[in-house]
Amino acid sequence: MTATSFMSTRPGASSRQVLGGSVRAADQVVAEAAAAGRIPGRRTTRVVSQELLNDHQGIYRLVLSDSYTAAHAEPAQFVNLYPANSQMLLPRPFGVAGVHGQDVELIYQIVGAGTEEFSHLVSGDSIDMMGPLGTPFDVSGRADYVLVGGGLGIPPLLYTAQLLAERDDVQVTTAFGYRDGHFAQETAARYVPPERMHAISDAQGNVVDLLNDIEDGLGDADLPPVILSCGPMPMMRAVAKWAARRGMACQLSLEARMGCGYGACVACVVDTPQGRLKVCKDGPVFTSERLGWNV
Amino acid sequence: MNELDLHKWRYQTVVAGVRWKNPVGTASGTFQLDACGDYYDVSGLGAICTKGVSPVPWEGNPGPRTAESPAGMVNAVGLQNPGVDHYLVDELPRLKRLGAMVITNVAGHSDDDYAQVVGKLADSDADMLEINVSCPNVSHGGMSVGTDPVALGRLIARLRKLTDKPMIVKLTPNVTDIVAPARAAVESGADALSLINTLVGMRIDIVTGEPIIANTTGGVSGPAILPIALGFVWRVRQALPQVPIIGIGGIDSGEKALEYLYAGANAVEVGAAALSDPTAPMRVACELDELLETRPELARCLAEGRTWR
Repeated sequence: MTATSFMSTRPGASSRQVLGGSVRAADQVVAEAAAAGRIPGRRTTRVVSQELLNDHQGIYRLVLSDSYTAAHAEPAQFVNLYPANSQMLLPRPFGVAGVHGQDVELIYQIVGAGTEEFSHLVSGDSIDMMGPLGTPFDVSGRADYVLVGGGLGIPPLLYTAQLLAERDDVQVTTAFGYRDGHFAQETAARYVPPERMHAISDAQGNVVDLLNDIEDGLGDADLPPVILSCGPMPMMRAVAKWAARRGMACQLSLEARMGCGYGACVACVVDTPQGRLKVCKDGPVFTSERLGWNV
Repeated sequence: MNELDLHKWRYQTVVAGVRWKNPVGTASGTFQLDACGDYYDVSGLGAICTKGVSPVPWEGNPGPRTAESPAGMVNAVGLQNPGVDHYLVDELPRLKRLGAMVITNVAGHSDDDYAQVVGKLADSDADMLEINVSCPNVSHGGMSVGTDPVALGRLIARLRKLTDKPMIVKLTPNVTDIVAPARAAVESGADALSLINTLVGMRIDIVTGEPIIANTTGGVSGPAILPIALGFVWRVRQALPQVPIIGIGGIDSGEKALEYLYAGANAVEVGAAALSDPTAPMRVACELDELLETRPELARCLAEGRTWR
């Protein structure tokens, strides 16, 4: 990359331009970083599509074209999206919800001005992003991976299910808790056999109730159950406790109010027995032992 | 190899006798080698200013520690860091091996704390020290020293005896008249000033009615503070024509860095912009390099250790 090419853009400036007119287009940033042996940073990507998944809760599926993320994202890793409005300085982090070819799926809910802006993106628009970021789930072992998700913690588990579905040495079970509409069940059904898909709505109970119901069917001597969880903090604490009582391995992907999302600002910490750790880079995935949630 | 890494820097600057390959550094609190070093060659910048280093490990403030604000952000990290002993065997030698010009930011809760850190750094490979008497997010030390010219003068005089390294004092804008602490620091032995640290501010969650940040208040940074910081640099330059100044506040482009140089700064540090783009300090340096090409008089001033004003 030349100084000149670096000069001609700045954060936000390249968003919503025609991709061909941006010198920080994803492919170029990725190629230059690879040549320098570095990680590609913030870059402008193209919006492939966007659809409303749940009108009542304002949940959207946004699909971006980013070959680097598509090739490298591991389960529970996230990407930063940057609002085009330069009044909003900080990125919004979203777990990768699926990958198809070069397309990267994200599922999010409108919670503020940044996500409201994103909800207006349509096919052909551009948006600045960076990633994939963070420490992923460890799915290296043979196991019955039990994906326990709540609300907007479910999307990263969909991608986890997608990756695990490609393997013949693991089994996957889902236990998803929804506020109301089961926005992710259709996607999960592509990767998980119907008899191992379980869901519950707030009106019926919580995911711990659901885990109690399905406990007897989890794992076997050959494939021990391993909990992979993502959702609201109170839910994950309850899930960690549930797993600990049964001696089950448990990994949790935490949410936090982040600053930079890549480990520079040390804003998004979680208290652990080893001190305050960065959710964005030490995590978002932690074992329940590392968090001290296994007691 | 990334052409950016091979960029031949044409316009150097001098800060307190130390030659920087270009006038752009990182601002303390926004640089972590393990994060930022993945995205650019740290030896390419004028200087790398580290996070605050304290005498013992500090755990910092509880979360949430950050909140966005219009064209900026509020943070109250509270100087979480693994302490000076760890720094001396880990981040500092790694930065030096990578060829970086290192400014070590020094944090403390008391005069003894600062003295302990400066004493341990005196024989280290750090190129410069930046004394952080301006953090608004720690209960003792930090800003409480930087707002009291007498206490500040006493501290800097004590630290001066402990080290021959160029000592920069980073000032807080949360004062009525910044010239008083600036003068006290310089008269007590500071080699340079960096200004400004963050402005005290806060955000409130309108659903709960409570402050978003656990510490209640934090420090505001980002483009929102650019005109304020620039005003401070101008005022100190007018009052103290000789002291080297590093301008900090809202710099996210070469043009904005140039404003600081025209206000009389010798160099700049890029902070919040790095949180929305890891390569921002390098991009600012590249942009400034181009802008200085058409400003030979300013470039000559900087290269000779002088300033525009």
